[in-house]
Amino acid sequence: MSVLARLVRDGVRVGGSVEVTAEALRATGPRRELASSRVALVLRDPVDVVRAVCALDGQVPAMLILSGATGAEAVSTLMRQAGCEALLTDREDLLARPGARRLEEALTPGRQAGAVATAWLMTTSGTTGLPKIVPHDLASLARTVKRRPAPGGAVWGLLYDPSRFAGMQVVLQALIGGDRLVVADPRLPFGEQVATLAAAGVTHLSMTPTLWRRLLMAPGRDALPLRQVTLGGEVADQPLLSALAAAYPRARISHIYASTEAGVGFSVTDGLAGFPEGYLDRAPDGVRLRLIDGMLWLKAPGAARGGPNLDMDEDGFVRTGDRLEVAAGRARFLGRDSGLINVGGAKVHPERVEAVLTAVPGVVMAKVTGRRSPMAGALVAAEVQLAPGLDPALARRTILDACRAHLEREAVPAILRFVDGFETNAAGKLVRTAQVEA
Amino acid sequence: MPQLDATIRQVFGQIWQSEKTSPAPELAPETVLLDTGLDSLGFAIFVSALEEELGYDPFALSQDAYYPQTFAEFVAFYDRFRQAA
Repeated sequence: MSVLARLVRDGVRVGGSVEVTAEALRATGPRRELASSRVALVLRDPVDVVRAVCALDGQVPAMLILSGATGAEAVSTLMRQAGCEALLTDREDLLARPGARRLEEALTPGRQAGAVATAWLMTTSGTTGLPKIVPHDLASLARTVKRRPAPGGAVWGLLYDPSRFAGMQVVLQALIGGDRLVVADPRLPFGEQVATLAAAGVTHLSMTPTLWRRLLMAPGRDALPLRQVTLGGEVADQPLLSALAAAYPRARISHIYASTEAGVGFSVTDGLAGFPEGYLDRAPDGVRLRLIDGMLWLKAPGAARGGPNLDMDEDGFVRTGDRLEVAAGRARFLGRDSGLINVGGAKVHPERVEAVLTAVPGVVMAKVTGRRSPMAGALVAAEVQLAPGLDPALARRTILDACRAHLEREAVPAILRFVDGFETNAAGKLVRTAQVEA
Repeated sequence: MPQLDATIRQVFGQIWQSEKTSPAPELAPETVLLDTGLDSLGFAIFVSALEEELGYDPFALSQDAYYPQTFAEFVAFYDRFRQAA
């Protein structure tokens, strides 16, 4: 694998107009003072993310690619963990820090031939709690990129955050595969973003099931000339897959199972939820699967990639944390073993929400579970036991205010119920009946 | 149907108040739901709150996936599943 800049075959468009040309992407590098730095990226503009990774790959030892929405504290902690000294950002609250600068102050036209093997440090899409750093390189991220343009020419729309694994896959497919990449302005209302992509003739689109449901509610949806519909980041359910097949009869519909931890996944294209049982013997794309006590283990092709947070067996299979059920020739996802709640692609740890709830004065005990939602996959539901004599209406307000102050929006309980008590087990722990996550 | 329409409006107002600081938008029959300003998560919470209030969720009951675009379509969808629920 060469460096990204040498592989770029097309630029980036915002709506119908070219924002950055392929030549500009190929010919931009970091300023000299940055060249030996480990660099963190916290960029809200998706075009800037593309600009930055093209300029830095092959030039710096490591890029820590964070979502533009990452909280300020998490940015500090993750930069420390990754040993980053430089920060490129468009966030005013971060620019005051030592080592922080805007992208345009960090890049310069003309680049040295880059020979550095740059580490691409991606993060898991956890919203509550600190995201985990997952080390990649360009080769591992671009493994599934098709090197030939799709027949008839593909126009990829980007509605994902490119700092996320799935978003970066779209970016790399377009840049390296020679397809066109169209970015919608993330500041526009969703309906207008869809209209922008339709006007630009987007044929290929990859999003979470939650965003696909939202797209289906957009009046402009029929104007999208889609030939490829890709779903990832959450479990795709059958009603949604069927609705997409009806809305886009000319499109191939793929849902992707990917494990950020293992850095790989595979896609299913038969329009049915789950995947064929036969994949447990032979999965696509060289991936190998194992089902042990209802838990999916996955092995990436090639050398095993160890990591500090990975649970890997001696054969190189990584424990995914995803529970499976096999029935009638089909494997279906049941949810996470940890009780992790997937709210529209954002992963919420119930324990963290419980910790915030029980820190509120007057709360005796709290239990947080996932509640199935046909719209967002799952929502956070909380049961709370109050100290005697408290006014429930007032307590509700206090509790929700505390949650909003300390938790990301997806983690704030959407359903809050007051209960008289909880079942605890022999060890005095809460009985957390595993509920379906998606 | 008028009662159902009123209940849905009332719950929408409550969700809006808890999610936003601005006044809730006017809901006309032809109002496009995506244009109200509620995002995916807000909409999911709205549907979940309606289930608490009405005792059923047509999106979960429906055999076919249906994605109403206007407020009138949304109310009609709930009305269609009222008897079945």
